Amino acid sequence: MRALAANIEDVFREASARWTLVAYFALSSLFILLFAFAVNLDVVNGALAGAKLFGREIEMGGEHVDLDRLVLGFESGFSAFLYVVGTFLAIFATAHLVPRLQEKGTIDLYLSRPTGRVRLLLSRYAAGMLLAAANIIYLIGAIWAIVVWKTRIAHPRFFLAGAVILLGIAALLAFAFLIGVVTSSTGVSIMATYGLFFFSALLVSHGQIEAAVARPWEAAVVRWLYRILPKMAELGRATVALVAGPEGPERLREGVGAFPFWSTALFAAACLAAASGLFRRKDF
Amino acid sequence: MVHSAISTDGLRKVYRSRMGRSDIVALDGLDLRVEPGEVFGLLGPNGAGKTTTVKILLGLTRASAGEARILGVPAERPESRRPVGYLPEGHRFPGYLTARSTLSIFGRMSGMEPPRLRTRTAELLDRVGLADWADVRVKKFSKGMTQRLGLAASLIHEPSVLMLDEPTDGVDPVGRREIRDLLAEEARAGRAILLNSHLLSEIELTCTRVAILRRGRVVAQGRIDDLTRRQSVYRLAAAPSGEHLVAEIRSTGAAVEAEGESLLLSVRDAEHLNAILDLVRRRGALVRELAPVRSSLEDVFVGLVRTGDTADGEMP
Repeated sequence: MRALAANIEDVFREASARWTLVAYFALSSLFILLFAFAVNLDVVNGALAGAKLFGREIEMGGEHVDLDRLVLGFESGFSAFLYVVGTFLAIFATAHLVPRLQEKGTIDLYLSRPTGRVRLLLSRYAAGMLLAAANIIYLIGAIWAIVVWKTRIAHPRFFLAGAVILLGIAALLAFAFLIGVVTSSTGVSIMATYGLFFFSALLVSHGQIEAAVARPWEAAVVRWLYRILPKMAELGRATVALVAGPEGPERLREGVGAFPFWSTALFAAACLAAASGLFRRKDF
Repeated sequence: MVHSAISTDGLRKVYRSRMGRSDIVALDGLDLRVEPGEVFGLLGPNGAGKTTTVKILLGLTRASAGEARILGVPAERPESRRPVGYLPEGHRFPGYLTARSTLSIFGRMSGMEPPRLRTRTAELLDRVGLADWADVRVKKFSKGMTQRLGLAASLIHEPSVLMLDEPTDGVDPVGRREIRDLLAEEARAGRAILLNSHLLSEIELTCTRVAILRRGRVVAQGRIDDLTRRQSVYRLAAAPSGEHLVAEIRSTGAAVEAEGESLLLSVRDAEHLNAILDLVRRRGALVRELAPVRSSLEDVFVGLVRTGDTADGEMP
């Protein structure tokens, strides 16, 4: 446990010393400030004041919209934005954890301690996830607090977005660790992980792609890739649907089952297992 | 059962090459024993297998065959490293850490309890001369200071086995002396120390025993005194020692060379030497000095490495 805590502290110290942590939280703070500024605009203040005077409805485009639903709509939409931004920032801030560890002159110092290799790798993964979780909670918590402050409407469901975003980050970070163990390159890890994000998001249309390819084996490859890779697009949609809840539009809930969750978790576990196995066997 | 601090038996390491090139045999049946309280030097030219040996002992690299053990525990098991302190060559402590936080993090990674870690950190920083730099970031340190910190980090958890790769690299002469004293003190406390260095003079001053490696094999091993003693060559200072006495000594079958006012005698054995001494005394000469002639460790090292190269059909 002491070794795990020491490793986590090391990662956080490194992140703050390399400005990664500062930049990570500074960018998040910028989003929060922009949001706070936007909700303080006269037009928003006016609409909200009207809603408070004449009930829980505001007029938009000639229609009366329930304020509660409006806030929910905003939060679910904003969670999609957070899903993309949070994931990208997290990977950028943590993809170096394995390549830096494997640098000559550094790896000897860590591996000569009585911590097993797998524990060392997993403790760095845990540290990376903690870093990402701290940032996601900061982002969501701040936006939620601003919304509550402005509207007096509190939707705890907004925090569900954080859990789904962290699942996506867990899968991508596990993949970044695997690439990091193999290549020892931060650049390659980041590029490959972003590539995976976009590619797996494209595969949400695997049905159309399978129909469009010429040969059956090509369709089979697309199908299997879809099954194996994390479901980044589906998770994004699930984030919005979960935050919107039963009151949200039904089209959001369509097609969001358990499969994207467990298959993404399985992908993360497989990547971590492969990274651990390779790291354990690697000669330094 | 009492185990050696470090032991290797038939240790072999083959690096498989890619692209169809031939494999490289880094270690070829290495047998070593390092006992507690001993400072053991591992010598050899570049590529002799010194670093590979240490890497296998630390579990950084896996052996192709044979066994490596630390206090009887197989080196591939993480717990074998619990009693080991290691200072790698060209180590890079994270520049964002201070000397104190470096020792704190690496001490905890070695399983130290925080209260003991705090006192041990202060004690070691003082001992390696970094007490005033305790809260300065490592990136500001000179090479010698980094080396001192590395030594402190290797000692932080009070290990019973120390493996040091070029510990005095970049350290000034006074610092080198301090490190030598520190190692001697640690050895007296019962720690086994494996020293890997190119600086033969340092090895000669620090180690009790050495092994000279060449192409993954031990070509010589033993106490430095034994390795550097030239077999059956003695320096004799006697007066008077004229041409006549020299001729008489030669007539016993000894080779005699004049070196200043002394004679270098190559004798068959101890009896032959005593016979010569009797002869010198009978001729009325006074023996002022008789000492075995030693080579420097460097002479022995270069001799062994060159002999091996020549034996393998290469140019020395």
